[in-house]
Amino acid sequence: MAAIKYVNLYFKLVSAGIRAQMQYRFAFIMRIIGLITAYTGTAVTMWVMLYQFQVLGSWNFFEMLFLYAVAILSWGFCVILFLHFRSLDTYILNGTFDRFLVRPINPFFHFMAMKFDMASFGQFIFSLIIFIWVSLELHIEWSSGKVLFLLASIIGGILIQGGMLVLISAIAFWTTKSQQFYWVVMYPARNLTNYPLVIYPKIVQWIAAFVVPFGFVNYFPAAVILEKGTPFFPESIGYFSPLVGLVFFIIAYCVWMLGLSRYKSTGS
Amino acid sequence: MPRFHVYWIFTKKAFLRSAVYRFDVWSRLGSNLIFLLMWGSIWTALYAGREEAGGISFQAMLTYIIVSQFLTGVNGAGTPLWEIQEKVRTGDIALELMRPFNIPLRYLFADFGSVAFYIVTALLPIYAMLFIFMDFTLPADVFTWVSFIAAAFIGFLIRYCIEMSFGLLSFFLVETGGIEDIFYFAMSLLSGSVIPLWFFPEWLAKVAAYLPFQGIYYIPNAIFIGEIAGGEILLSIGLQIFWLIICYFLLRLVWNRASHKVVVQGG
Repeated sequence: MAAIKYVNLYFKLVSAGIRAQMQYRFAFIMRIIGLITAYTGTAVTMWVMLYQFQVLGSWNFFEMLFLYAVAILSWGFCVILFLHFRSLDTYILNGTFDRFLVRPINPFFHFMAMKFDMASFGQFIFSLIIFIWVSLELHIEWSSGKVLFLLASIIGGILIQGGMLVLISAIAFWTTKSQQFYWVVMYPARNLTNYPLVIYPKIVQWIAAFVVPFGFVNYFPAAVILEKGTPFFPESIGYFSPLVGLVFFIIAYCVWMLGLSRYKSTGS
Repeated sequence: MPRFHVYWIFTKKAFLRSAVYRFDVWSRLGSNLIFLLMWGSIWTALYAGREEAGGISFQAMLTYIIVSQFLTGVNGAGTPLWEIQEKVRTGDIALELMRPFNIPLRYLFADFGSVAFYIVTALLPIYAMLFIFMDFTLPADVFTWVSFIAAAFIGFLIRYCIEMSFGLLSFFLVETGGIEDIFYFAMSLLSGSVIPLWFFPEWLAKVAAYLPFQGIYYIPNAIFIGEIAGGEILLSIGLQIFWLIICYFLLRLVWNRASHKVVVQGG
């Protein structure tokens, strides 16, 4: 079975990556602390913001924390699986991308498994603490249905954000430069969706739902779990998160493969 | 006495170099405007239709955020910190250390060039349009304009000294992870770049008042919208200058220590 072979291979490549990173244990721990500090910083900013105002577009502090934690958790997995695509253009420019083409496995897979960023533990620790804290504060009852729904939405969020990274990296096949687009599209979009979409102009909400579907990463699913309204959108739109993720990722994958077929080595 | 005409060349070169990487300028502007949209929307939603909150009118608050976002663009247009740290990591910094100029000063003057290019070609046209087509609070008299520009410039220098000092920590610590993130957090929150100090909880406002970060965004922004006015303006600028001197000596101390302790990693 090809699939099993690929799963085995993935774990082999990844464990090699982990062992390599654990050689620098101090750096590793510092990075995790750094990540947690940075996320806590944003959470503190939200707290200060709501100190006088109480709500932001009908979302209170704990609901906003929950919204934020959903985004951070799926981003953590996304970093592990797909962040390597951000540097695709460097590989293409240096000509080192060619080595992914001369091996007997799918180049997309090979490139994806090539690097594994362990510092994502920072994201996991942070979001787990927030989930527990918010659940206690807001008395969220975690039925098995809700847990399953959250997991499915997280997977949807991983596929949406991963798909976006893959799409942006694919630009490099045509232009040999793509990292700029990460800073113009992905980074602002991730920041924008840390806050409930309802506060933005209608056109922005619409883009975040149907063009760059980041609304499905956290806003729509969180609204379902916290039982909050999503004005301008149907009530149960959050349930579509996994499906949107799957479709978006398949599109991204196809664009990437199309780019690959047009790829010519820079020869340097 | 540093020979400023030598450093002036770095300014001119950086200006010309920015002109070559025009796509970078546009993408940076795009990202800046998206964050403007984000903070504008957040404050609109926080005011939720109210004309004023805590004695600050909605219009003044929106102006505060726009000016702040403009200054964020200005402060972010120089050499990124990681580029200098990368030089330390790869050992390239050794080449610069051999040359007969002061490295912090050389980067400051280069930043003047790239910032000037960014302001003239990207920031100023867009933000001027915003002020022309929308109804925002503009300073009424020349004195306020002059003191705003002065405060913004001193704020830029304070930010440069602090950021460079932190950047140079990579001479001592090969990994600066946590410290750097605390710095960036302090820079964005305690400087009042997104939330003005008067909306802070009292104890936090007190903490911020005793730190240099307020000089970067809060003071120039508040002068612009007239929240700091009259004699208070001179007092605030005096406070900025006080912090600038301290931060300058901090940078000098760190730099002297760092340049004597260059550990060039082989490879």
